[in-house]
Amino acid sequence: MKMTKIYEGSYQWLMFGRDDNKPEKIIDTNQYVVRTGSRCLVIDPGGVELFAPMLAAVLHHAPVEEITDLFASHQDPDIISSLGLWDQALPNAKLHASGLWEGFIRHFGCETIEYVPIQDNGGVINLERVELQVIPAHYMHASANFNIYDPNAKILMSGDIGAALEEPGAPVFVDNFDEHVEKMRFFHQRWMPSNQAKRFWIDRVRDLDIDILAPQHGRMFKGDDVKRFLDWFDALQVGIAV
Amino acid sequence: MKKNQVKSQFVAVASIAAELSDVMNVAKEISLAAANAKAIAFRAGEKAKGFQPITDFINELAKDTINLVNSINLQAVKLYQLTVNEHKMTAASNQFSKVTSLTENAAYASSMNISQEQAEQRKMECRREFQSHVDQLLEQLASVMHPARAARVIAANSRIEASQAGEYLQSLQAVAESVDNAALVIHSNVQRCRTALSIINFSD
Ligand SMILES: [Fe+2]
Ligand SMILES: [Fe+2]
Repeated sequence: MKMTKIYEGSYQWLMFGRDDNKPEKIIDTNQYVVRTGSRCLVIDPGGVELFAPMLAAVLHHAPVEEITDLFASHQDPDIISSLGLWDQALPNAKLHASGLWEGFIRHFGCETIEYVPIQDNGGVINLERVELQVIPAHYMHASANFNIYDPNAKILMSGDIGAALEEPGAPVFVDNFDEHVEKMRFFHQRWMPSNQAKRFWIDRVRDLDIDILAPQHGRMFKGDDVKRFLDWFDALQVGIAV
Repeated sequence: MKKNQVKSQFVAVASIAAELSDVMNVAKEISLAAANAKAIAFRAGEKAKGFQPITDFINELAKDTINLVNSINLQAVKLYQLTVNEHKMTAASNQFSKVTSLTENAAYASSMNISQEQAEQRKMECRREFQSHVDQLLEQLASVMHPARAARVIAANSRIEASQAGEYLQSLQAVAESVDNAALVIHSNVQRCRTALSIINFSD
């Protein structure tokens, strides 16, 4: 599992991905970790196959008792099917995820971890002195779906929005936006169901000050590429399967 | 537990549930046969005098069997839950070992020790609990054999009584026949349950 530090201040943002041992037919995912002095949030911890390499990677940065928070942007297996294992590994942790998905996500196993339901209008996650905003991104693609925005680090973790299907071992940042577009087009057109929801999300996100847009698959967008992505996505017709 | 073993444990527990629901249906048939027999014996009056108490016996046996199977069913559901739990605990403890092998040089590798020990303990606990439930279930299954055996004896008596019943001979004999068949079916179903269970029990 490759680690890239994407923010370093009084706390850190770490990106994990490009796992060499990933079984072939499973989609590659990015996991993000926010590490403060004595706490640790794992964002979209990943599928059940990824549990061991992911936890092992985090143990370079935090002991299990300080992994206090998990966040699931939505209910998909590539996001959170590892929950049942985290549930037995973490002695004191909370899972922040949509209240709407609770009855579904609990199928993955959630007995010791406390499920903290997020209301449809979002909210905040506090990690010591760091305040992260939970931004609604419903129907993008899941019916209940959230992003995480850190106004201080200027990072938007956007879940499946901005995702691309990449070759194994691809770089972690977009370096040529025009070339990158083709790796995203079908994914967004097919998985995102609603132009109206897309409009709503873009309007909301344009107001945020973003340095890095960090999706759950593929490469991150940095600087001007964030705006390029929003413009491209704005012009794209989605929901093409009907 | 090995993968195949887990699989066969799930299959065994599921097949027990299926056998039990068959036993239940057969027990209900017996109870119906008893009601029939009672009606016939009533009509036959004096000629089927010896047959009347037998119908009550048959009914009792059916009731006993139904009650037993109900409580065995609860036990089988519990056994299924234990199988699921054990499977989960085993998966966790395997995954935790994987974490350990991947974190040789990680700064906080040792923080996993407690979770790993706990997972190992819970796994063993599940295994023990499973074993003791299997033992209990085997005992309960043995007790279902008693009414089934008694039913066969009663069926034999019924045949004798039926032979005195004149024109009712055939219908009473049919009752005896169906009780006997039902008892045989229950016997062989329960035997299959026991075999399935002992396979799990001896497979580790
Ligand atoms: Fe998804
Ligand atoms: Fe995804």
